[in-house]
Amino acid sequence: MVENAVDDAVTSDAKDGRGRLKEATRLIIEIVKYHPRYFFIAVSGATVFAVCTVASSIGLKWMIDRVILVRFNEGRIDSSAIVVGSILIIGIGLLRALGVVVRRSYAGKTEWRTAETITNKVLDHIVAQPVKWHRQHMTGDIVARCGVDADASVAILAPLPFSSSVLVMMLVSASWMLYVDVPLGLLAVTVFPLLLFLNIGYQRRIDRYYNLAQRELGTLSEAVHESFDGVMVVKSFGAEERETQRLAVITSRLRDARIDAVYIRSIFEAMLDAIPSLVNIALIVIGAMRVKSGAMSVGDLSSFIYLFTLLMFPLRIIGYLFSEIPHSVAGWSRVREILDEPIMSDPLVLIGKTQTGTAIEISDLFFSHTPESDLIKNLSLHIETGRTVAIVGATGCGKTTLLHLIAGLIAPQSGSISLQDGGVGLVFQEAFLFAETLRFNITLDADVTTAKVQQAAEIAECAEFIDELAVGFDTSMGERGVSLSGGQRQRVALARAIAQDRSILLLDDTTSALDPATEAKVIRNLREMNGHQTVVIVASRPSTIALADEVLYMRDGVIADHAAHSVLLSRRDDYRELINAFEHDRDSTASLNRTNEKDI
Amino acid sequence: MNEPIGRFATAKTITRGVNIAPDLGKGIGVTFLFALVGSLARVVVPILIQQSIDNGLQPGNVRVDYIAKLGLIAAISVVVASFSLRRAVLRLGISTEQGLYGIRIKLYDHIHRLSLADHNEERRGALVSRVTSDIETLTMFFSWGALVWLLDGSLMFVVACVMLSYDWILALVAFAVSAPLFIVLRSLQKRLVAAYDIARESNSMLLGTISELVSGTETLRAYQAHEPIVSRTKKAVRSRADSQIRAGVIGAFLFPSGEVFAVLTIVAIVIVGVLRGVGGGLTAGAMVGFVFLTYRFLEPIAEFTEVVDQTQTAVAGLRRVLSVLDTPTGPPSAINPIALPSGPISIELRDLSFSYGSRADTQDDDLPVLRNISLSIPAQQHIALVGASGSGKTTLARLIARLADPTIGSVMLSGVNVNKIENNELRRRLVVVPQEPFLFAQTIAYNLLFAKPDATDRDLLSVIKQLELDEWVSSLPDGLNTKVGQRGSSLSAGERQLVALARAALTNPDVLILDEATSAVDALAEVALSRALRALSAGRTTVSIAHRLSTAARADRILVLEHGKVVEDGSHRVLMGRDRQYATMYAQWLTATQVGA
Repeated sequence: MVENAVDDAVTSDAKDGRGRLKEATRLIIEIVKYHPRYFFIAVSGATVFAVCTVASSIGLKWMIDRVILVRFNEGRIDSSAIVVGSILIIGIGLLRALGVVVRRSYAGKTEWRTAETITNKVLDHIVAQPVKWHRQHMTGDIVARCGVDADASVAILAPLPFSSSVLVMMLVSASWMLYVDVPLGLLAVTVFPLLLFLNIGYQRRIDRYYNLAQRELGTLSEAVHESFDGVMVVKSFGAEERETQRLAVITSRLRDARIDAVYIRSIFEAMLDAIPSLVNIALIVIGAMRVKSGAMSVGDLSSFIYLFTLLMFPLRIIGYLFSEIPHSVAGWSRVREILDEPIMSDPLVLIGKTQTGTAIEISDLFFSHTPESDLIKNLSLHIETGRTVAIVGATGCGKTTLLHLIAGLIAPQSGSISLQDGGVGLVFQEAFLFAETLRFNITLDADVTTAKVQQAAEIAECAEFIDELAVGFDTSMGERGVSLSGGQRQRVALARAIAQDRSILLLDDTTSALDPATEAKVIRNLREMNGHQTVVIVASRPSTIALADEVLYMRDGVIADHAAHSVLLSRRDDYRELINAFEHDRDSTASLNRTNEKDI
Repeated sequence: MNEPIGRFATAKTITRGVNIAPDLGKGIGVTFLFALVGSLARVVVPILIQQSIDNGLQPGNVRVDYIAKLGLIAAISVVVASFSLRRAVLRLGISTEQGLYGIRIKLYDHIHRLSLADHNEERRGALVSRVTSDIETLTMFFSWGALVWLLDGSLMFVVACVMLSYDWILALVAFAVSAPLFIVLRSLQKRLVAAYDIARESNSMLLGTISELVSGTETLRAYQAHEPIVSRTKKAVRSRADSQIRAGVIGAFLFPSGEVFAVLTIVAIVIVGVLRGVGGGLTAGAMVGFVFLTYRFLEPIAEFTEVVDQTQTAVAGLRRVLSVLDTPTGPPSAINPIALPSGPISIELRDLSFSYGSRADTQDDDLPVLRNISLSIPAQQHIALVGASGSGKTTLARLIARLADPTIGSVMLSGVNVNKIENNELRRRLVVVPQEPFLFAQTIAYNLLFAKPDATDRDLLSVIKQLELDEWVSSLPDGLNTKVGQRGSSLSAGERQLVALARAALTNPDVLILDEATSAVDALAEVALSRALRALSAGRTTVSIAHRLSTAARADRILVLEHGKVVEDGSHRVLMGRDRQYATMYAQWLTATQVGA
């Protein structure tokens, strides 16, 4: 199985190798243009490094021919030659190091500034997209595209200056070697492509095993997570050994993939050590003949071999540089997918304005998630300003969707929605709090006075527990901040909606996580709030519904009835049944009590 | 941190690691020998150059045949050395993978046997990362760090030997001039690690902010309040880039410092060598050889400094792994187990007390969770445990199921102490259905078979029939082969309960411990659930943790717990008549669920 996976990868790889190079070129052209200046500086540093590498062998030749051999063959100390040689060697060495510093610093600058630019572009794009677009994408996926994928796209920028310097180095050193001695130069130059291809070939092969191992590791962590998560079941059925066995099988696949990789790696490491040494030996033997024939000096030969040794390091790691390419190309194409998507229109622009005295006016509204069936069909309703209205209906009948349509988060297929001036404050079923202070979560950084925040918290019945916190409204909700219960979070979200001072409040089952007493208090507070605020509540608790001025009874995607709770209870059987279902628990106990009574 | 103790602890940790995974240390001596021979390939060229210059490349007397002969010997040595190198890499790699495999298996087994107190939500992630990321730091270390220690260590050793044999004074000069490199690299390395820590932190902060921006998008849209959050995110983007660039600059200085020291060392050697001259037996070839060896000698140093930190990370990972293995496992298995008599099982609790205080990680005072509970439950009786949260219901149920052992006292099943019952038998005869039953992300059938892997299709069907679940199963898209999704997420809460009940029924237990779900389920599932529950508990000794008093009211007998004590014991009717804790709770509960206004 492992072998097959690798073979598949081989064939598919060979097929699009050329295409990938093209893509890589396009990627480089597209992202280098974001910060060309940094990139240019990095490449300049790399060029200095390349030229100095070749030049350093000239310094060594000087030292050998004019200092060492002069001393040992002729017994003479040439101090001026020593000074010149030392300056040459140290000077060129420092310059070479400086080239590296510039190259690496600016390569990093290019990479991370480009990542910043790309991430910001993606952020601007996703912020501009309306809720509909966000619902079509997974949160984790979007985050990955802003973060991991953007980073992957720019990963190619870091080694790029170095790769170009290796090219320069190979060209310069090849010409210099050929200039020093043609036959010896030819022999040395043939090693470049040899090592290059060995490297690239190795990197490709080993990557496949590494990727395979990475996949196995992913499977393993998933399985381990699940197994530990279910430890209660494992224990209660005495399945500890079975589970260990199951995980052992997955682990052994990971181990085997890694051992396969070690086999390839060990061969490569050995060849990488042997090939340059063998070529070096050949160079020395042939070089000796050239020295004998008088074509070159001992210094020439030594510096030749010295240069050859210096070149081996970049050639050793060049394969690693190429291994970034597929990764970057994949990351960039995922980033582009987001950037190339057109911005959807904002449903908010479709919302009209009502006449005075009317808070919400909806007519002939149609909405569906799927083309086959409408969730909301031909719905019309009319809510007067200042009323507290409950929307009641069975689970999944479209209550939440209706609120989101009113809030302008999503667009209807057809029909019209008009609202009175002053905007909408929507409190979601699941409160979302930002990892900021409570104050921020209530004000959302809008211009809201402290008094107003306090008042909103009191109405939402969260002032009390906030006061008990050491720093009150300045308490952070972040990772190291306090953790609030579900009911507390909902009350903070409600306080937010109130503080934003919108003319219409939409509460989506907001108070269901509160205990009945607190819930009743909150609803009363809302009703007592002065001003002309209209409150629409999706509710399932009979006690809550009873507190509303009027009830919109939703069924089969339309408003089936619109009246006071008591009126609906008396005139509609289906409504009564629904309310009974909401009270199921109480109902079953009541019947139980009756049987008990009978027994007595 | 205290250095000497730290080092001592490091050695101890490594020794313990090798003890736990003997594969890691197996044949390490032979591997080292192979590495030593393998590093010879890298000194062959400098030696050949030295020999050629001294004996074959005299001015006016170039002996090509001599050099060719030497070359042949050198080539053969290189080939032999490279084979040896390959063996070393291979041996290290294989023993690593085998060893880490062994540690992982030990961890799985141990973690599954840890007591439930060590398996809370907060520790779950930590336990998972012990077997994944912590072991991965070891993998990383062995595939690079350990290789560097092994290969570069032997290379430096061999190079130093060759240098000393050429000329010990020049060798000392070389060592002395390059010594400060260690210090420079070490301090740069420390700064680099600190800078990367900051970069990593700012990176995870960035991802956190982005993820908040994305998941809060509906809220932000609803209030048109993107601006503050977007600008905060962009600030995080910038500071992440800044911290990465800063780390990059430190790395940029670290990288070429080896080269700077190399040229300084070369110049020092040449000057000292030339001044000393022929007198000391020094030759021109040895001088040139030295220049080449300097590079060989300094190359590994840079890698060593990088590897030191990786080694520390790996040792820290190993230490965390060992600390998990040091955590005592849950109830110990029975020595000389006693067989449970067949047939219905009675339960007896004798002087039962329990406290979590024995755990080192709880800072709470040692308040006992259960105190002196003694009672007996006849076979086939249905018991409901009732009480406020924290009253000890769940703990009591766990003790009966032997998911924990009591601090004092004993739990007897049909007269046999639970700690004398062999675990497999206990699990066959007693089954726990937790509040939020866990389902594996597989099919329903897989989840049922988890209870009893050797059950046949007929067994499954008969259980389904017994619990009257046929209708529900046939309503599923693929019947029993329906996939349930992560943690059973594609089923409703009620349906997950149904699967858990069927799973429990499959083992045909004599004792049933049920933790009732608190979350509301839809009316349809509610009916199916209560039917299945009734069928499952019929004829079985049943202990239910009742969250709804309607459930309690149906039980044969109710135990009311308060602060770890049984304060009331009797049937619903009797307790209602007494007008004490139960009657009060019941009255409160009735009003709470009543229609308001």
